[in-house]
Amino acid sequence: MEIDIQLVQEPIAEKISLPKSVGAHGAWIEFRGVVRGEEKGDRISALEYEAYPEMAQLEIRRLLAELSGSHQCLAAKVIHRTGIIPVGDTAIYVGIASTHRAEGIALLAKFMDRLKQDVPIWKRRGLVESVAVSNRGSGGQGTARLAMRSLDEAREEISARCQTRSAVQVSLNEAIGRVLREEVRATGDLPSSDRSTRDGFALLQDDASEVFQVVDTIHAADWKPRGLKTGEAVRIATGAALPGDGLRVVMQEHVERTGDEIRITKHESELNIRKRGEDMRVGQSLVREGVRLDAGTLALLATVGCAKPLVSPRLRAVHYTTGDEIVAADQAPKPGQIRDSNSILIRGLLDGFGCDVHHEHLPEDFERAKAHIGNPHAVTGRADVVLVSGGASVGDKDFTRPLLEWLGFEVVFNQVNVRPGRPLIFGVDGSRTAFGIPGNPLSHFVCFHAFIAEAVMKMTGAKSKPFSNGALATKLDDASNPRETLWPARLDAAGLHPLVWASSGDITCLVETNALIRVPANTGSIKAGTAVDYLSTNF
Amino acid sequence: MRVLFFAQLKDATGCESVELALSGPLDVEKLWVELVRRFPKLAAHRATVRLSRNWEYADAQTQFLASDEVALIPPVSGG
Repeated sequence: MEIDIQLVQEPIAEKISLPKSVGAHGAWIEFRGVVRGEEKGDRISALEYEAYPEMAQLEIRRLLAELSGSHQCLAAKVIHRTGIIPVGDTAIYVGIASTHRAEGIALLAKFMDRLKQDVPIWKRRGLVESVAVSNRGSGGQGTARLAMRSLDEAREEISARCQTRSAVQVSLNEAIGRVLREEVRATGDLPSSDRSTRDGFALLQDDASEVFQVVDTIHAADWKPRGLKTGEAVRIATGAALPGDGLRVVMQEHVERTGDEIRITKHESELNIRKRGEDMRVGQSLVREGVRLDAGTLALLATVGCAKPLVSPRLRAVHYTTGDEIVAADQAPKPGQIRDSNSILIRGLLDGFGCDVHHEHLPEDFERAKAHIGNPHAVTGRADVVLVSGGASVGDKDFTRPLLEWLGFEVVFNQVNVRPGRPLIFGVDGSRTAFGIPGNPLSHFVCFHAFIAEAVMKMTGAKSKPFSNGALATKLDDASNPRETLWPARLDAAGLHPLVWASSGDITCLVETNALIRVPANTGSIKAGTAVDYLSTNF
Repeated sequence: MRVLFFAQLKDATGCESVELALSGPLDVEKLWVELVRRFPKLAAHRATVRLSRNWEYADAQTQFLASDEVALIPPVSGG
């Protein structure tokens, strides 16, 4: 029996060709399960399916094998689509070939019954019709007022509402920037044996002979264990394994050689040996779970043979910029316009976290923005995180929230008592998260490190980055402010140097910024030498 | 051991999977005790959730090993 099973994310074709083995005779029974416009009493525009793909395929195969024992079956083809499937689209296609139709129809009916009991595929949730959503979230009376969150509340809530993605195994070449999801231990001692740190001659440590006979030569890659007698020496290269224990290496510069004989011209106490296990001992923990992989760590993984580490998947981010006053970086802004710096800022920040970024610029107007996007689930349905950068104009606050709701997100909060970045919006939808970011670049930078990074770290399984303790190297000059402030600063050996910024539109300070100082509400200026909390903005 | 969560169990645990360090084989009961200790909200789902071991449904006698991929399968609803 020919069995073809596929789990796909893309739409299932309108016409499926017959398996070749069916030939010219018999019956080909086809069934399509189509997404209905109603789920649990709600009108919906799409259904989201989730599968445990490896097991679902095996389970379907087991079911077909079992049922074909009692019902004759020549071939079977099963295609199940997963992800977000619009109403009217095929969720499952089943084709059964048999010699007579009655057998095939009976088998198909039993197969569908069993599939709904045993195959690990789930209808995750219905996506409510976009018309209803846009009415609910139009920014008018229908919009629920959400409580303003404090900095800590917002960070905790983001972390709690985001789901950590399943780890994947990838080659080292693909692992940079990803989060390690297993502990890596030393698989052996390093060095694996005592090694010479010099080009020279190995001889017994306590050998006081005047003249030594050179009995062998050991190159860097050689492995030549042997005993040495008094008066014997072995020529050895830097990094080469010593032939035994209890030896020392005399550097070649301290030796006079005549044919196969050497004479030591200068005595030193140094053994010139790198001991076995000096760098790492077998079983020793080398890298903890939750660490972001950089080049140095990858080199260590390669050294211990961890060629396919278990890591976080790359996240998919969709970034929408808005605002008619924005022009591309390579264009000259007219009066009243500014160049788009947010899209490259967000791309750069997300890139450091191993995210793939898809960027689109939306028209200022909500209706035109929706028309530009088309199907609300087409681009953002498979995204892990959706970011919307507001423009600088007044109407944007009302624009981002309904847009996120139209895209299917439940808005959790839309204000944080922090500057810059107060009108930050956070939304969730199943495993997807979304942020509406106030338009100024400095707000983007601060919101990314304080909030969006929390979400990305939770989703990738990285350890959350807490505030650190530091001290001001220079005075922080500020009037008392009722909001908590995240103040751009330069951290160096002397401590934290607050940088100059007057408004969230300022961007020159970003060149220097590598930390954000936490200034509690109603603080005012802070003297040099004062202990403060700060958030590092290095990855 | 890698344990995967699906559908509403992702919401209950806040993650898609977890790595459990095992000192020896676990039976079904011990695995549940460990899972509920890590994720107390899973207790409410135990009656309806089936376990799988390496892509096959487990039974009451199944022993789970450190190298296994285990999944918690809530009632399915495909098709």
